[in-house]
Amino acid sequence: MFVDPKDPRLPAPPLPGTRPRILVAMSGGVDSSVAAALLVEAGYEVLGVTMKTFCYDENQPLAKGPSKTCCGLDGILDARQVADRLGIPHYVFDVEEDFTRDVIDDFVHEYAHGRTPNPCVRCNSNTKFRDLMARGELLGCQGIATGHYVRVTPPAPDEGPGALPHLLRGADAGKDQAYFLWGLPTALLPLLHFPLGAFTKPEVRAMARERGLVTAEKPESQEICFVPMGDYRDFLSRRLAPRHPALEPGHIVSIDGEVLGEHRGFAGFTVGQRKGLGGGFPEPYFVLEIRPESREVVVGPKEALASATMEVGDVHWLIDEDLLRTVQGGHPIGVQIRHRAGSVAARIEGASDASVHVRFDVPQLAVTPGQSAVFFLGDRVLGGGRIHRVGGRTLTAGIASPGADAEPVSTRATSLSETAPPSLQRP
Amino acid sequence: MNRIYLDHAATSPLRPEVHAVMAQAQAEGWGNPSSPHAEGRRARALLDGTRARVRDLLGARHHRVVFTRGGTESDNLAIFGRRTFGIPLISALEHSAVRVPALHLVQGFGRLHSEAPTRPEAPTRPLAPLTFPVSRTGAIDPDSLDRAAAGAPAPVGVVSCQLVNSETGICPDLTPVRQWCLRTGTPLHVDAVQAPGRVPLPMGDELPALLTLSGHKLGGPHGVGVLLVHRDVPLDPHLLGGGQEGGLRPGTEDVAAAVGFAEALSLALAEADVASPRLDYLRLRLEAAIVEVIPDARIHGGEGHRAPHILGVGIPGVSGDLLLASLDLEGIAAAPGSACRTGTPGPSPVLQALYGPEAGDAAPLRLSLGWNSQEAEIEEAALRIQRVLSRIRRSTSTPVSETVA
Repeated sequence: MFVDPKDPRLPAPPLPGTRPRILVAMSGGVDSSVAAALLVEAGYEVLGVTMKTFCYDENQPLAKGPSKTCCGLDGILDARQVADRLGIPHYVFDVEEDFTRDVIDDFVHEYAHGRTPNPCVRCNSNTKFRDLMARGELLGCQGIATGHYVRVTPPAPDEGPGALPHLLRGADAGKDQAYFLWGLPTALLPLLHFPLGAFTKPEVRAMARERGLVTAEKPESQEICFVPMGDYRDFLSRRLAPRHPALEPGHIVSIDGEVLGEHRGFAGFTVGQRKGLGGGFPEPYFVLEIRPESREVVVGPKEALASATMEVGDVHWLIDEDLLRTVQGGHPIGVQIRHRAGSVAARIEGASDASVHVRFDVPQLAVTPGQSAVFFLGDRVLGGGRIHRVGGRTLTAGIASPGADAEPVSTRATSLSETAPPSLQRP
Repeated sequence: MNRIYLDHAATSPLRPEVHAVMAQAQAEGWGNPSSPHAEGRRARALLDGTRARVRDLLGARHHRVVFTRGGTESDNLAIFGRRTFGIPLISALEHSAVRVPALHLVQGFGRLHSEAPTRPEAPTRPLAPLTFPVSRTGAIDPDSLDRAAAGAPAPVGVVSCQLVNSETGICPDLTPVRQWCLRTGTPLHVDAVQAPGRVPLPMGDELPALLTLSGHKLGGPHGVGVLLVHRDVPLDPHLLGGGQEGGLRPGTEDVAAAVGFAEALSLALAEADVASPRLDYLRLRLEAAIVEVIPDARIHGGEGHRAPHILGVGIPGVSGDLLLASLDLEGIAAAPGSACRTGTPGPSPVLQALYGPEAGDAAPLRLSLGWNSQEAEIEEAALRIQRVLSRIRRSTSTPVSETVA
């Protein structure tokens, strides 16, 4: 696991005679700690910055047990310790207002409309990088770095001047975080450093240990940072107005409209989730659709979860016009529709303003409105958007199971009654 | 790049003279002052001499000099020490070392330990300490104390008002407070940690019943403070243990720290006549530099009498943490306000009390000067501060990035 000091995957040193100032976002986790260390060792002037995204509710900080999220007070203290060890300045920036507006309010809004949001996508590609860029500029920084497991490479020589750098998946397939970064401002691409993108997680831990960083053995963060203990239903009920429709009882119906039971509020459901309906039904039922207007939750057999197409809105691209035309013209691409799933073959059938119509080569299970859809060409991130509508539901055979490394629907459904679905997991 | 230290209100660097006498005291007076042997007696003699020195410096003929481990401890002792006599009535600008204990007492924490009578009609568990307002000029309405006391859930056991506000430099006018205390027979506590060498300290017969001083604000050591306690004012200890400091502050005394404190206080008082106008001049230089580039900067307490060494400003349209980081990278040590509030979000209670809902509209910046501030470095600081402010202000007026998703 030893990483040689001459390993070509380590960050390249700055040009001779220069010492560019790089702002490193330090969450207090092992990844960003090592990212900062590697840049210091490569010869950059590094500033450590921790974004304080929200405050724990002072009334119940410890009552619910220790938190394993990334941006809490412990994270700030750990990041400061690492910065001291590396001999770099460390600052804490309070972005609570932006974070609440861009991430938490959006999270609540999406659930209230029957969709399943990716708050970590919003945070990473929106709040975090936008704020880092604005602050980095004011602090005279020439680059921004994080501990994400993704890579950025310069454009190929034949792409001509002004072409955008390529954002690529991380080399460690198990840790790759490209799914979370489709919304990066394109202006930021040339300024980004991801020192860990070519390494595996065990290698990063080994490098942390070797350098005696206090964060070396820190466990992975798993929860959404602002939802204590992953109880997002409880969180929503505290954030939404009392008697909000999303928290009111409604019907559970079949595809044919037959009422099969009652639920205690559709905000508790996610498309693809297995819904136990008591005895009398031979096979498990799955949530197929949430209809916020009528508060109906539509359920059906697993086969009915498959969709052949989807409408993706709020689309953002990280590529040049030429490539964009090719991609929108129906060139085969990969699309990833949830975290920790591989990409599957698809084509864009039509595009308008900020939305595209996507057809999967093979229908996909549990395409979930609100989740991000990220477009790839090989390992390269082309862009992404939010799944707005799902279409082409088919009850016929010939349904794909979602790739070998994807979440099988059955496991998705096992633990979902009161906890966050895997689609809500942190990067 | 040389560092320029503009945070003396948080801590002033240790003066070399103080360092020298402390080293000597540590060598000679290392014994336990309560021990009966020669080593103990030597420490005791040093401590007693130091106590007498502080008493003489302040002309405190009717006060006990109680050495504590700092300003916060002195404040806590003054407030909690009066808990059996009622609840504290404090100015709206008090430091958290006064405000938070006062809040605890008014919420009933004190009743667990005391028999303070509670008025049956009083509201239970108020969310704020009992306060009287201080205007931006430092003026205090004498009637406001009567009004506050009338609405109190229990009798007032102590009144607390600072001599210099640490975030803004505002010097509250103590006269109406003194008169109210005299009229009602209530002891007055004055937190004067920012005052020595900067604004005149009340001395001799002018001394309030209780007075807090701190070592590290004066170029003395950390971890030592003083509470002057008038002999006629009963006070209970807050820490319990041995009989040191007349039982008011148990625990083995730090003789060298006390010696260092007395030396720093002596130097500050001796130099006050020269230092005060010098600090005033330097502060005005910084103030002018800021207003030159940020015409709508809000000078906190700018309308009234302020201490010469503290400049509190509100810079509209910038983020406070970014401003401080930028200054730090330019070699300037500055503060957003009281260092004791680090990590607490939102505008400080002091700025809220002075500016109401507008308190949060501007990023708070506090620059404070001290015994080793030099004119040349202040000139240099003014340039760097202007550079940072211009850059930040320019950038925040234009969008810096796109928003997606």
